[in-house]
Amino acid sequence: MESFRSLTVTQRDQILVEQQVFDIFKTFYNLPPSSQSFMLELQRENHVEYLTKGLTGLSPSFCVLDANRPWICYWILHSIALLDEFVDPELENNTIDFLSRCQGPNGGYAGGPGQMPHLATTYAAVNSLVTLGGDKALSSINREKLYMFLRQMKDASGGFRMHDGGEIDVRACYTAISVASLLNILDDELVQNVGNYILSCQTYEGGISGEPGSEAHGGYTFCGLATMILINEVDRLDLSSLTDWVVFRQGVEGGFQGRTNKLVDGCYSFWQGGIFALLKRLNSTKEVKPIPLGDGEGSGEESPQTTTSSDAAGEEGLNGDLSLGGSHSEIGDQHNTSSQDNVIDIDHNHSKGHANVEPLFNSLALQQYILLCSQELNGGLRDKPGKSRDHYHTCYCLSGLSVCQRSWLEDEDSPPLPRAVLGPYSNLLEPIHPLYNVVLDRYRDAYEFFTKS
Amino acid sequence: MHGRPRKAPKPEDEAASSAKAQKLRALQTQFFSFHHNKIYTKEAVELSAKLLEINPESYTAWNYRKLAVEHYLNLPDCNPDSIKSVLDDELRVVENALRQNFKSYGAWHHRKWVLSKGHSLIDNELRLLDKFQKADSRNFHAWNYRRFVAESMKRSEQDELKYTEDMIYANFSNYSAWHNRSVLLSALFDKKAEGFLLKEKVLPEEYEFIHQAIFTDPDDQSGWFYHLWLLDQTVTTDSPLLASSWPGHGSDVLLVGDRCYNGSAFSPFSALHSDSGSFPIVLYFNQPVRGVNSSTVTVECGFNKNEDLLWKPLSASNSQTARVWVAHLKVSSSDLHSTVEVSVGHTKGIISTRGFEYSHPSMLSFKVHVQPMERDSSQVSVAESISLREENFKVYGKQSEESIIDSFDQLIIKNGHETTASNWRFEALAKEIECFRELLSLVDCKIGKLTLARLLKAYDAMSYPFANKLVHSEEVLELYSDLMKLDRTHYQFYKDERSIVLLQKYKDSVSSAICGPICLRLNNLSLSRMGAFEKLLWVQMLDLSHNELQSIEGLEAMQLLSCLSLRNNKLRSLTALEPLRKLKLLRILDISYNQIGDHSIDTTRYVCSSPLSHSVGSELNRDETVTSDVALINNWEAFYIFKDFNLNQLDIVGNTIADEKFKSVLVKIMPKLKQLDGKLLD
Repeated sequence: MESFRSLTVTQRDQILVEQQVFDIFKTFYNLPPSSQSFMLELQRENHVEYLTKGLTGLSPSFCVLDANRPWICYWILHSIALLDEFVDPELENNTIDFLSRCQGPNGGYAGGPGQMPHLATTYAAVNSLVTLGGDKALSSINREKLYMFLRQMKDASGGFRMHDGGEIDVRACYTAISVASLLNILDDELVQNVGNYILSCQTYEGGISGEPGSEAHGGYTFCGLATMILINEVDRLDLSSLTDWVVFRQGVEGGFQGRTNKLVDGCYSFWQGGIFALLKRLNSTKEVKPIPLGDGEGSGEESPQTTTSSDAAGEEGLNGDLSLGGSHSEIGDQHNTSSQDNVIDIDHNHSKGHANVEPLFNSLALQQYILLCSQELNGGLRDKPGKSRDHYHTCYCLSGLSVCQRSWLEDEDSPPLPRAVLGPYSNLLEPIHPLYNVVLDRYRDAYEFFTKS
Repeated sequence: MHGRPRKAPKPEDEAASSAKAQKLRALQTQFFSFHHNKIYTKEAVELSAKLLEINPESYTAWNYRKLAVEHYLNLPDCNPDSIKSVLDDELRVVENALRQNFKSYGAWHHRKWVLSKGHSLIDNELRLLDKFQKADSRNFHAWNYRRFVAESMKRSEQDELKYTEDMIYANFSNYSAWHNRSVLLSALFDKKAEGFLLKEKVLPEEYEFIHQAIFTDPDDQSGWFYHLWLLDQTVTTDSPLLASSWPGHGSDVLLVGDRCYNGSAFSPFSALHSDSGSFPIVLYFNQPVRGVNSSTVTVECGFNKNEDLLWKPLSASNSQTARVWVAHLKVSSSDLHSTVEVSVGHTKGIISTRGFEYSHPSMLSFKVHVQPMERDSSQVSVAESISLREENFKVYGKQSEESIIDSFDQLIIKNGHETTASNWRFEALAKEIECFRELLSLVDCKIGKLTLARLLKAYDAMSYPFANKLVHSEEVLELYSDLMKLDRTHYQFYKDERSIVLLQKYKDSVSSAICGPICLRLNNLSLSRMGAFEKLLWVQMLDLSHNELQSIEGLEAMQLLSCLSLRNNKLRSLTALEPLRKLKLLRILDISYNQIGDHSIDTTRYVCSSPLSHSVGSELNRDETVTSDVALINNWEAFYIFKDFNLNQLDIVGNTIADEKFKSVLVKIMPKLKQLDGKLLD
């Protein structure tokens, strides 16, 4: 029998990357604290400058991305939003106009004007417009036509095609379902059998592959998991083996790899890191499947209305307070006398300490990788040391950083503790909605807009 | 663009690329005009090829070429030669595009499309693939395409297996090759191909193969995943098995008419209180199954002949697939003693999620004794309060230990015919255990420890029905404790795994933790996760207080539970109590001192922001009494969880959510509640 060579190509590459990364860390740890904190600082201004430049004009080397122009918009706009900056109104208008020209006459967005509509660029365009926000941007989306486009892309098997005659994969399912959910046009027809398709892509490793038979992959695992959550079938996945897979994708460098035995790459800070953000929320509520109370009927058609009704219920809460006013004080007195000792005794010391739950991955190590190895000091972020910056990596490194900074938090609205944010607290980015990867506030505005209209 | 090699531009390059951009722009304008006017002349088609050579991602151009091909194939003067030349052209364009960008989705998809036309020589494809796979051995597009090609040309799995072997010898870190190996072997097992009929022959060879990689470098990840797959192939039996049941085979069930836990409850019988005149029969399978119904599972007994029992799946989702199934058998007052016989799987139809048929017909038989009611249940004093106080957990004397062991014993379904068939599985596992102990004596390796822990657990689980003891639990616990120290990053993961082993162990040992055949105390064990429910089906009173549980997933299997304490855990939302909705006998629940309501955003609503998921609200709307009550609408989770409960007693103090207003809502939702936080209700 042949025997194995002692060092494989893969291992050699891995060692080289480790050396580069560890050199950076070593230099860092030998610095005085003041320089250390400078090195850990997020270079906000430089990033914004790099990003804004990308929106106004790109060098000719971007030819290869000609069929992905809405993606460039999304990567840049989302990054700018994460940094809590805005683009100037003229640029905003131009972007909205440009994306409108990408919108096909029969719905959906294409990679550029004149091209065919495509699901991935539709996702990018919709997320861009949600990120820009405001009536003009949001109302520029033709939801009826877009719904028809999604229906056309739906394959009989349940999966979606990327474009007319295009390939079926997990990416297509996620982008279709995410867009439909965000625009409040998700219905039973779109959801039907999507879950079966995603399920057929979960491998024995635990992660999800791009298509059946392929190996598990970080990007697809995020897409598959998010899709299953959005269609409310997440409990059909083997979540424990998925968790098992994803925890071990974080390497010694602190960053994540995308697949088994691949090199670390900054963009997986979001694809894998975002999985943790999703899993954490599922953890406490995992077996909750709020659809069927009884026999599972009637989950689909009524949903848009019920959304509004449960929101309205929230507002009416104040009245509820008043109506119960009478009995409230009466029982309140009893409560004070009988059970107070216990409360002081047991609860207060412990429970608050646990309100912030330690994440399942090493959040500080990932932040360290992003800031020291992925960040270019003159703006932009990258895959790993030795590679050059680009908008894709800038977007997903920053998204991952935002997820990290809040990975201790249960509640999205309160700011994280300083110890959860590596480097100066000014590194804190805006929170995202991990299912769609848009900034949370922009999501909320869009949610309100699309539930009303 | 992701992951592709890039160089920093030089000035002369920049000039060149600027010229290229100009050219592309001109090409594109021309292309769109051809495309939109449906012009498929030779010139037009060639132009699209130029465009794709510069930008293979231009999916519109790929689709244009598909239309053009269809156009040519439909021409009246079309003949086999001209078809071949048209399609060969396409293959050439794709190949050029792939040279430019071997990660182009559009290019690979186009190639598949051309080949599916069935006119091209598929043999060339393997040669092309070899070239691409040498250049990038992890390119998943190429691997996907390879599987497609191998299938279309009906290339044997054995040949492809050989290819993965070559790839692995060239670079044993290539996980894509290992993965394809698992895909191929699965197909061969499924087909029962010659030489692959017996896993016991193939798997040991695969273990040998993987050991070479693992021992060459224990830190290389690829081998470990393949090992995990092998382990799974070794331990899982294809057809589902009945893991346990309640009542157990050969057991005596005493049904009493009211709830008094007096001396009689501690008799060797399993005594069960029943005020509905029925009792549950629970079947616990080793994997989720569907198709459990009155024809696949027949129940014969004195008091109910030919009655069609309704079997219900116990799972959180409403799917018709579950590990645990329950049916309620009615008893009649005329027959006080009766033998019940449950036959499982004598008729086909019980099928696992992976599509395997239940193939081990088995029979359970047990005796039921009905003790006539001594008191009318309505006369039970309202003040009567049952709690998990010490006196209810009287340590049961030595003389009774035997009967407890019996009751464990009865839960196990013996599958004699499995023993011989499984010998090779034991041997394979034992060999692996030995091998990894050796590895760990040489190097300190986290993944090695984790694998050894998994092997030992698998071995114990497999031998449990015969040995009745988990021989390795101490070693496994120690491995997980080690890992928790060594690898803080994945601390919680190890802790969860450890909790389950701990539970197995506690249930395994007849210690003072078990205080009679119906009560189980598992408090203060730092449990963060529950498991091993198949051995807990008999429990009626369960104390899980002072643990670290965040979820009680799976608890729905414990159908006999009437009294449950989850005091001082880490439950964070009402919706985490979902499994309890399925426990129809639950009367007393203590969820005090948890973290319910600590977080202002309800995580359920947040996760399920899809409009679909708000249909809980729609259920509320249908119920008019609820919609008219604002307080209930505002607490829909509470309504959803508690409305099906039949609780007499509830303790919820020590949770942020449990203010007086909330308590008054609870009282409304559960009119039968007699006691809340130790206070009697009117």
